[in-house]
Amino acid sequence: MDTSSFSYLESRKLVKRWSGPIPALINTFLILAFFYLTWWIFQDPRGLMRMYTPYVGYMVCRWMLIIFIWLAYIFDFWPFKRTWLNKTHPLIKGAVLTIVSVAAMILLIKGFFVEILGNFGIAYFNPDRLIAMGITDFYSIEYAAEAIMMFAAIASWLSPSWVVACENAPWQKIGQPARGITIVLVTFFFSMVVYFVTMHSHMAILFYPWQKFTAICPPYWEQFANTVSGNFHIAWIMCCTVVVWQFETIWERYPFNLIKHDTLRRVASFFGIIIIALALCFFLFYAQDLVWGQTIRGTRRLMAPDWRWLHVGEMAIFWLVPTLYLNFYCGNWPTKFSRPVNVCIRTIVTALLAVVVYVIYYKTSHLFLGTQKGFSHPQQFPMIPMIWLINIFLMNVWFMDGWPGWKAVPKTEEELAEVHEEIVASDVKWTPGIAKGLVIGLLVGLALYTAVIYLLPWIGANFTIIK
Amino acid sequence: MSNDTKNVSRRDFVKGAATGLVAGAFAGMGMYSYSPWAYERLPKTERKMHDFGTCRSVRVTNISETSWFNNAHLIGDIHEAGGLLVNQYTLNWAPFANGKGSAQGSYDDGISSIKDLLPHDIEKAWEIQKKLALHPENPGGYSCLIEVEELDGTMHKYLLDTGWSYKWMNDCFKREGIDQMLRDQEIEALFISHEHWDHFWGLPVTMKYDNRIPLYVHDGFYDEGLQYIKDSGYKGELTIANKPVTPIIPGMALLKFDVPIINRVFGETSLAFNIKDKGLVLISGCCHQGILKFADFAYANLKYDNDKFYGIYGGLHISPFEDWDPKYDDLVISLGQWGFERIGCNHCTGHLTAKKFIESGYPVVRGTARFRSASKDYLGNGDKITFGC
Ligand SMILES: [Fe+2]
Ligand SMILES: [Fe+2]
Repeated sequence: MDTSSFSYLESRKLVKRWSGPIPALINTFLILAFFYLTWWIFQDPRGLMRMYTPYVGYMVCRWMLIIFIWLAYIFDFWPFKRTWLNKTHPLIKGAVLTIVSVAAMILLIKGFFVEILGNFGIAYFNPDRLIAMGITDFYSIEYAAEAIMMFAAIASWLSPSWVVACENAPWQKIGQPARGITIVLVTFFFSMVVYFVTMHSHMAILFYPWQKFTAICPPYWEQFANTVSGNFHIAWIMCCTVVVWQFETIWERYPFNLIKHDTLRRVASFFGIIIIALALCFFLFYAQDLVWGQTIRGTRRLMAPDWRWLHVGEMAIFWLVPTLYLNFYCGNWPTKFSRPVNVCIRTIVTALLAVVVYVIYYKTSHLFLGTQKGFSHPQQFPMIPMIWLINIFLMNVWFMDGWPGWKAVPKTEEELAEVHEEIVASDVKWTPGIAKGLVIGLLVGLALYTAVIYLLPWIGANFTIIK
Repeated sequence: MSNDTKNVSRRDFVKGAATGLVAGAFAGMGMYSYSPWAYERLPKTERKMHDFGTCRSVRVTNISETSWFNNAHLIGDIHEAGGLLVNQYTLNWAPFANGKGSAQGSYDDGISSIKDLLPHDIEKAWEIQKKLALHPENPGGYSCLIEVEELDGTMHKYLLDTGWSYKWMNDCFKREGIDQMLRDQEIEALFISHEHWDHFWGLPVTMKYDNRIPLYVHDGFYDEGLQYIKDSGYKGELTIANKPVTPIIPGMALLKFDVPIINRVFGETSLAFNIKDKGLVLISGCCHQGILKFADFAYANLKYDNDKFYGIYGGLHISPFEDWDPKYDDLVISLGQWGFERIGCNHCTGHLTAKKFIESGYPVVRGTARFRSASKDYLGNGDKITFGC
């Protein structure tokens, strides 16, 4: 079979170098060590480069993420040749691909956003212009970084959505780099539109007086979200980002992959992700109200609606970490049951693990990340270390074939054939048994939700994560 | 029915149930969570109505609200050191400077250069530190004198915060006669709102005149801060506030808030007063917890006259560096609903915030812009505000 019709990530199979849990343990250890080393060098407020100012570091980690996605998922590693990818040592591949990504990131941030947009379109993308208008150097850079960062947040939902939900349509048949360029341009365009209707107003009210002639102020979401802050959008957009990857990894694109009609499946997947993300977003907001009490508009931090929306996005990212870990390093455990059962178990397991990561993070991170204890430090974003860690996962699995615990081997023809079959699943068919199960399952799911919302106020009253 | 079909239908049932479970949970999340019904079932706040007494009036004298004189220099130094999370003792500002430049400072280096001089020769100590520090002319400080009149007419004097620059604070103390009040031990306590440079680092200035004054600090103080209290020559009784509400005298209480704050500081304590026939008055240093959090905490815990929010004095920490964020507009938009009658804000409230408050028609008490205070929009150095008769 012609392997060129498969992406590099589809064409390879990662096999463990050693049996048992050793590969996962070794990789976890190396990843955490590398995380801490790079954290110290680049981000830590006590370390060398101290990019955690916070917005500069925030922008960098988000842009790294989106460039990794573009390189691996959308450009299928173009301009690197398949033979190079197959033959080069993972360490060299990892280094080269990361350096190329960083160069692309600098080019985009400095070249496109600061120099082109910031000089010929929108002043707030260019710190020098803000400085010239009397804003301090520090906040000029922070504001510009915030705007550029938000752009990446939106793209980190839309770009993978095009691959995962829309299956690259309608350009799935054209070769690289034409396909990559097309999809990047299209998702970049949509990101731009979403940016204008979600974050431009947020940026416009940073300046005095509100920039009413260029942006809608007060923004249209004020009444619904109980804040004029764009954090409301960060909430649902981050949930979208997380749900895309859940859909791709632990859900194996179930249940929308049961739809046989191509267009219908793609549209259902794309909007299904958004609807699921909105559900998650509203729940995470309500959950905080149950634990900490209702928000007070105009206050700061823990009780402020804008912070609570931000924290929705942060909690979602806490779910992404175990999701990717389970998929990358635990062989997408469990795999022995039917797909719906596997998906259900993985969803519950990763949600519980997310709670564990969350608790560990808030209990211990101030001891080693150079941050302070507390939930709502206005200059601390747990998304920075979490995305930094996720970036390292991606470097390890996408760029380095899971080295050293795993190595890439080409898939056999049969395995490749399965990849194509995978697009439409046939393992679940409509029967009376399924229908009965579905109804009972829905009721149990609703009961589970009800139990959780009754449990949360009790947890809020009886447990303190941070003393 | 054969066993096989039974198995198949059971397997199908499980598939359906697994799918339904996840779908049902998400359906519940999406359809109920942010709906009006979800909020109707939430319990109303139970108010504790803790009675902390009543006083007749409170008068605040602004000793200094100008914490620094050049915003670009201050935020430039923070920027150079790595931003808003960097430990304040390493920024290389006086009095903890060592001449090694940005982010290379340390408490130990700084204090060792001046320890022998504290607190009797603060002038010389500050001169030494000025040679080692970044932007040595920038420090000012935040401090105010609070005079409380009890119902029977007894007067009490307290200090909230002790500023930053030894030189500037010493001059301000002299201008307002604080030095003499301290010498005469007329001032009953010094409350340090939080560990920030501009509220706490001028401690030796108070110690110079009265080193046994009762001192209150938040229990989130770091080791350096506690050591500095000793190194400043303090000989009195230190109270580390570790309860949400600490009553001081009838009608006056110290409230504690546990919040992480920029440049590695944790927690702030603020003062609440119940003024006869008027209502609640809130006085803060920086109010890093947020003024509405402060007010809401008082609402949930304290009993006060008329059940009314009456006045505010202090820094409200909104746009201290003349920076902005949409969430500050949330405050500007909603503060009016709380019904404060006298708003005496300054310091880290920010000029832009004061301007927006005034534009919104809030009762902001104007100042006179004397002694290097920059704007008449708010109470400046040497200005006074009285709550109650
Ligand atoms: Fe302050
Ligand atoms: Fe402060």
